[in-house]
Amino acid sequence: MKMIVQIMAALVALAGASIAAAATPLQLSSDVFVERTISRDDGTKTMVLEKPKMVTPGDNLVFVVKYKNVSAATANNFVVTNPLPPAVTFDGTSDGLEVVSIDGGKSWGILGNLRIAKENGATRAAQRSDVTHIKWNLNQPLTAGAEGKLIFRGVVK
Amino acid sequence: MSSKLKLLVASSSLSLVMLCSAPAFAAGTAQGTGITNNVSVNFQVGGVAQTQQTASDNFVVDRKVIFSLAEKAPIATTSVNPGQTGQITTFVLTNTSNDTLDFTITPSQLVGGTAAHGGTDAFNVTNLLVCLDANADNTCDAAATATLTVNDLIADANTTILVVGDIPLAATNGQVAGVSLSAAALNSNGTAITVATDATVNGASTVETIFADTVKSGNGGTSAARDGIDVATDDYTVQAAVLSVFKTSRIISDGVSSSNFKSVPGAVVEYCISVANATGGATATNITISDLVPTNTTYQAGTIRVNGTVTTPGAGQTCAAGTVVTDASDADGGSFGTPANTVAGTLNNIAGGNASALIFRATIN
Repeated sequence: MKMIVQIMAALVALAGASIAAAATPLQLSSDVFVERTISRDDGTKTMVLEKPKMVTPGDNLVFVVKYKNVSAATANNFVVTNPLPPAVTFDGTSDGLEVVSIDGGKSWGILGNLRIAKENGATRAAQRSDVTHIKWNLNQPLTAGAEGKLIFRGVVK
Repeated sequence: MSSKLKLLVASSSLSLVMLCSAPAFAAGTAQGTGITNNVSVNFQVGGVAQTQQTASDNFVVDRKVIFSLAEKAPIATTSVNPGQTGQITTFVLTNTSNDTLDFTITPSQLVGGTAAHGGTDAFNVTNLLVCLDANADNTCDAAATATLTVNDLIADANTTILVVGDIPLAATNGQVAGVSLSAAALNSNGTAITVATDATVNGASTVETIFADTVKSGNGGTSAARDGIDVATDDYTVQAAVLSVFKTSRIISDGVSSSNFKSVPGAVVEYCISVANATGGATATNITISDLVPTNTTYQAGTIRVNGTVTTPGAGQTCAAGTVVTDASDADGGSFGTPANTVAGTLNNIAGGNASALIFRATIN
C-alpha cells in the first residue's frame, strides 16, 4: 500500500514533547519515557515511566504517540508513520496492529512475514532488531473530536 | 480511548532488498548521541488528502562508565626463581563504556592473606612497577613506572598491562607473593569524571555520567560498586632448589688390616660430598663444590670423581661410581690445587628428588 505523499509545509521539529498548533486539524504529540524499576519499601519491585533525564545504553524506552481530531470534519485513511531513531532497537507495540519496514520505509509488512537476505544468499526471518520504521493504518474514520494513542517500546543500543 | 485499528496488510512475503548489518557493540550508543523520534500522520477529509502533520521528541544519551580489569589468560600463577628480576604478571583492561576514557593504573602488594590462585601471600617482590603492553608481546612498550596512565582507550577496546617485580634471593621454594592492580576511570582529557548520582536531577539535553561498575570480592580482587574503579589480582610462586649438602668419609684401606680398617697414619680415606635436592625443588644447575683438603691428610692424586651416585644422602650415606676427572684445571669438571690444596668439582644438574656426589681420596699423614 502506498503512502500518500504530501507536499509538506515547513517541517516543524520541536524539542521536547511537541503539540501541533490548534489551527491544524490534528493534534499530534510524541513523548518518550524511560522505564525504570523501582524497589518499594515492602521489597516488591514496580516499573515506573520517567522523563528521559538520564538515559544510557540498554535502557528501555516507551514511545507514546497521541492524536486527536480537533477539526469539525471526519478524517479518513489515517496513517501514522514513525521511523525508529537510529540508536533505538524496536521492542514491540502495545496493540500489535502495526506494520513494519526493515528496508528504510520502502516496503511494509507484518514482522512475522518479512525475511532478510543473509550474506551467503539464504534468507532468515526478520526480527525486531531489523525494524527501521513502524506504521499504523486506522481503518475506521476518525470523527471530529475523536482521539487515540499508540505506544511502542524500544531499547537504547 | 484508542480507536480500533484494523490491520491492512501492505504486502506479505516480501523478498528483501537490503542486508541488515547493525553492528552490535557492547559499549552501545556513544554518549551525547541524540535520540529524536519523528512521527508523521497522513489523513484525508472528505476524500481529499490533507497536509501531513508531524511531531517530534528529542533527548541525548548519557555516559555510562563501565569497564573491567582482569588477569590475562592463561589464568595461573607466574613461576619464578629466587633472584630473578623483571618478572611479569599480565592483566587486560577492557572499556565497555559508551565513550573514550583515560585510566590511572596503580599496582600494590598483598600483605598476607590469600593470593589470586589460592596460595598464602608470604613475601613481597621488590621494585614493583607497571607498564603498558599494547602490542601484547609480553614486554613493556616503554620503561615500567610506579603508576601508569592509559590514554584514550576507546569504547569496546582493550589493552594489556604488565606488573613487573624482582624476586628476592632469600625467597624459598613454594612461597607466594600476591600483587593487586587497580584501574580508575578518567575523562579522555585526563580530568576527573564528575558523576551524577541517583539524586541528581538534570536535563534531557545535557550529558550526565553514571558509574555502572559492580561490586567485586574474593581472591580476584575487592572493589566497591559504582565507584569508577576496578581491581584485579595475580601472584608469583617461587620455585627454588632445596639443596642439602653432606660430607662423609670412610676408610678404604689402612695398609695393615684386611677388614674394618682403622684410621691410622697411612690409611686411605675416601671423602664423599653429596648434594641432594628435595622432592618438589626446582632443578639446580651450575653446582660447583670447593673443598679444602683437611689438615693432617694428603690428597691422593687422580682420585676425584664427579656425578657419583648417593644412597640415603645424609650422615649414613653411601657414595659410589662417578666419573674420574683429572687433577689439572681443565674443562672436565674437576681439579685439585686451584686454589691450593682444594678439591673443586662441578656436578651435573640435579632435579628435585635427586642427589649427586663429589668423591675424592686422601691419606692420613
